[in-house]
Amino acid sequence: MNARGLRVISAVVLCAIFAVGLFAGTVSPYPYAKQFRERPNAAPSSTHLLGTDSLGRDLFARLIYGTRVSLLLAPAAALVAALLAGILGGFAGLVGGWCEKSILAATDLSMALPLLFVLLALRALLPLDLSPVLSVISTFTLLGLLGWPSSLRVVLAATKGLRNSDFLLLARATGCSRWRMIVNHLLPNLRPVLFAQFWISIPVFVLAEATLSMLGLGVIEPLPSWGNLLRGLEDISAVSANPWRLAPLVLLILVVICFQMILPAKEETA
Amino acid sequence: MSFGWLPTFVEMPPSRNKMRARIQRIVGRLLMLAAVCLLGGLLSASLVLFSPGYGVDERELDPRLNQASVEAIRNSHRLNSGLPSYYGHYLAGVLRGDFGSSQWLERPISSLIKERFPVTAKSVLFGVSLAWLVALAISFAGVFFRGLYFDISTTLLSGVFIALPAAVIAIFCVYLRAPVFVAIAVATFPKLFRYLRNLLNHAYSQPYILAARARGISPTRILLHHVFPLTSPALFALLGVSLAVAFGSAIPIEALCDSPGVGQLAWQAALNRDLPLIMNLTLLVMLITVAANMLANIAHERAL
Repeated sequence: MNARGLRVISAVVLCAIFAVGLFAGTVSPYPYAKQFRERPNAAPSSTHLLGTDSLGRDLFARLIYGTRVSLLLAPAAALVAALLAGILGGFAGLVGGWCEKSILAATDLSMALPLLFVLLALRALLPLDLSPVLSVISTFTLLGLLGWPSSLRVVLAATKGLRNSDFLLLARATGCSRWRMIVNHLLPNLRPVLFAQFWISIPVFVLAEATLSMLGLGVIEPLPSWGNLLRGLEDISAVSANPWRLAPLVLLILVVICFQMILPAKEETA
Repeated sequence: MSFGWLPTFVEMPPSRNKMRARIQRIVGRLLMLAAVCLLGGLLSASLVLFSPGYGVDERELDPRLNQASVEAIRNSHRLNSGLPSYYGHYLAGVLRGDFGSSQWLERPISSLIKERFPVTAKSVLFGVSLAWLVALAISFAGVFFRGLYFDISTTLLSGVFIALPAAVIAIFCVYLRAPVFVAIAVATFPKLFRYLRNLLNHAYSQPYILAARARGISPTRILLHHVFPLTSPALFALLGVSLAVAFGSAIPIEALCDSPGVGQLAWQAALNRDLPLIMNLTLLVMLITVAANMLANIAHERAL
């Protein structure tokens, strides 16, 4: 099988998982917070496909709703990051001079900071007793606002390449206004770069959310996300007795690998 | 065409101008580091000062204190109420080695850093070294023993590792009783390996390196004289990036492996909303990674 075939399969798998997350309310047999108090830690059965957790909640339902939270909000955060990178990188690349230097210095500084440290510091500014919905919004907003630096460098390099291109020189020579140059010439040529950066950011944000939630600083219970479902792995003896509890991890690995397969190698190394 | 003049040009000792330019670059980088310290400190101070709940002191509620004591506590907060005043006090303290006190542990932050930092530094250094060793070994094996199965298996291995959150790696390490630095190495390895493999594949596919191999030049000579100069900028940059990745992964790994390092301290500080502590730790890690990048750049310039 060639790379194109693998890419098509990955895209189909991702589309299927996205669709399940999007229609979680229809696909899921139960609400994510519904407790079956008489059946805590139940094994998989026809009524509970992945069994139940220690509070008697259906794990399959929680996995599907968790997919919705993780997989629909990570692209939203990636969009914010790609837009920020596009605006700042495009501006720096076009204007150049001290503006480019200062934006590049800020980018280098942000890239030197481990993302998780900054996330932890900014998350600590917020109250710990946030409502679950606010915790989701704040987690993914922080990810979106902090995830732009690596994309910016790529966008900046692409913009600088375009700035010196013959077609922009020609457009400038014919008296094309700056705004028209940006909208008609620059943005259409930057679109593939921005799109690649958007795709690269999604799995990064999915993993960052998982880590934050596993540490108790991401999405707050009872709202499920892949991160707080993975907290079930902390009790390793329960996992070895009930291997189906690895389902969130398997799904996470599958999704991240599919995202990697979809990206061409050229964008990956950019 | 003869290039007889080229060795003479290359072997010339660096001129005074070159030396001056190099010193200027190093001074510039040191100034940049100082600016980063000041800017990072200002940012940390602002975040602490404007965070919700700052300046509220539980001691004010103590019924044993009289009105004068309560007023004294309130006045001590008012002294540093504005940002310039707060930042000034903070900077003066940092110059004396006093980073303030942890609100949660009620201990000086400098002593906490002294206790915890060596643990993290050791884990990160060993972890990054192990990740580089393994990534280099597999990348070189991929270059020299190129094969479909080898490529697929290493891609799959790195793909699975890259898809594992650092916290999950930590849980598996606890289960396997592996040391913390192994978990850091596993978290750092896939990111390193992908770049290293692409870099080396790109370098070894260059026509002049193929020609050198065809002429029977030894692999060591090819590596040191042809591949290293070509890949060194990216390798040095990658060194700094790998340190940042390792420090980032140290938080969940130390938190879940119960390793008493800076990562665990940052996590506990975040859970307890101890902002002065977490801001100082973030600043410390930022300085280390910026300094590592700076050293990597200087080493790269020397290598050229």
